[in-house]
Amino acid sequence: MRKNAQKLPAILCAAMIMTAMIGCAGQSAAPPPAPGTQVPQQPAEQATIIEPTQILFDGSSTLAPVIATIAAELEEQSDQPIEVFVSSGGSGQGVSAIIDQTANFGMLAREARDSEKEQIPDFQEYLVGIDALTVSINPENPLAAMRDGLTTEEIVRIFSGEYATWQDFDPALPGEEIVVVVRDIGGGAHEVFQTNIMGDVEVRADAIQAPSMGALVSRIIENRNAIGYASFGVSYQSRQDLAFMEIDGVEPTIENILNGSYLIQRPLILIRSGQPTQAEQYFLDAIFSDLGQSIIDEIGFIPIS
Amino acid sequence: MKDKAVLYLLASVSLITPAIFIVILVHVFYEAMPAATGLGMLLFDSEGIWRPFGQTPSFSILNIILTTVYVALLAVGIAAPIGGMAAIFLNYYTGRRTARITLAFVDLLAGVPSVIYGFIGLLVVVRNFERIFNMSAGESVLAAGVVLSVMLLPYIISTYSESIEKAKSKYDTASMALGISAEYSVLKVIIPITKRGAAAAVVSAFGRASSETIAVMMVIGNAPIFPRLLGRGQTISGLTALEISGAEVGSLHASAIYAANLIMMLTLSVILLTAYLLRRKLLSEYEKI
Repeated sequence: MRKNAQKLPAILCAAMIMTAMIGCAGQSAAPPPAPGTQVPQQPAEQATIIEPTQILFDGSSTLAPVIATIAAELEEQSDQPIEVFVSSGGSGQGVSAIIDQTANFGMLAREARDSEKEQIPDFQEYLVGIDALTVSINPENPLAAMRDGLTTEEIVRIFSGEYATWQDFDPALPGEEIVVVVRDIGGGAHEVFQTNIMGDVEVRADAIQAPSMGALVSRIIENRNAIGYASFGVSYQSRQDLAFMEIDGVEPTIENILNGSYLIQRPLILIRSGQPTQAEQYFLDAIFSDLGQSIIDEIGFIPIS
Repeated sequence: MKDKAVLYLLASVSLITPAIFIVILVHVFYEAMPAATGLGMLLFDSEGIWRPFGQTPSFSILNIILTTVYVALLAVGIAAPIGGMAAIFLNYYTGRRTARITLAFVDLLAGVPSVIYGFIGLLVVVRNFERIFNMSAGESVLAAGVVLSVMLLPYIISTYSESIEKAKSKYDTASMALGISAEYSVLKVIIPITKRGAAAAVVSAFGRASSETIAVMMVIGNAPIFPRLLGRGQTISGLTALEISGAEVGSLHASAIYAANLIMMLTLSVILLTAYLLRRKLLSEYEKI
């Protein structure tokens, strides 16, 4: 597992550079300044002196960069002697790390199952943010003018390749191939899509796998035959250049995501056994501070507060 | 005493590179073992496709290997004639000064980060393919080949130019004394004499082409299907970059990715060794003349 944790920063860097590069290509896409980039608020009074502590996080690779970034920010801004270690290997590993007591916090990109909760004495969970995906098409696609959204069943048929051309979907549309753009099939983002929309049906084999969310969005912006999903944060920055699709009549808005009516989403939670220590509470407070929540927003997830 | 210390220091430093290579090779080999024993020939199942997360997971890397070779051959096939002609032109048809300045720019081309090539490929090549070939999406094996061929040019031009220079310095006086034209001496003397140099340039370019990651990933579509010229594909390095970070350590999925890389590393070792031997033979041949 450790190997993965070491590779992560390099891969993230590469991904971020790519996102940045491709983001530039998004023509008129002028991202609004992230709300939290101003003066970050200190999470707690500096006066409380905390014992030197190491906090170990293990689990979902979706949540790992969030915790690692918050920890890095906190290290720069606070002089509390807290060291945070993050390793990742999936939500399941987050649960088993808590059961085996090899980590202080488990990171999960799904709800904890009842069977798992039973194995953890004094189970505690903290909802940190929500990961949601929007399904969008190119605004030049005539479908954008015809329909506000798609049903789950239609999305399954499009992504599985049952409809090969847009004409197959609706005779009024051009007879051009539907270009399905996805993230890597093994990745966390695709997992949300697979679980919440596709179920057991597989995505067509010739779907384009974009190397980053930024690349995925720019493919939809540039190709009028394209349809794809993108993380809420990234796609919302380019909302003028994309046509968002409602899913079963529900619009992808923060409100609909938070109240649970929007389908393609999953919770990002931290779990632990027992009440947090003073140092752990300090770090939890940092996650829920303006700084922490703005980092969650910047990485592309929906903050809770 | 001092001399000995320096000797040991130099020896240990120069041994680091082969040591690192061996460590990496052993690591990749070790990680690839579960897939090799657990899947065996299923790794090369022509019926199967790379679907590690399907209802019935399948781990065939055949299409991915084929795409890697296809893209590299295509890129070398485009770049070799262009680069070869450019090298001849620079040595025979321009002044020294122009040639030197041009070669400096060619070397600069090699310093451009590959993500930039990928980015330009996406905006120029992919977009124009959609227009020219009337494709619904321009991401294709050919697009990757075109982008890669530009990246290979500096390697081919500078390696081949070096061989021409050497051959030229040997035969130029004789050619001039015989009064033969530049065309004649290029066709009848230089090209036959530099055959091996050209082969070495092509082989090392092939090695470079088959390991390129990000530029190819951005224009090929990364779909693990059977490669066709205007269809999508996925290369070994692209697959690795996309999936290795998410693959659970010790899983069959991660191991199969390592297996693909092991095959690439071994093949490349053989290819690059051939290039090295060719070049060495070439040098000793020049010594003889």
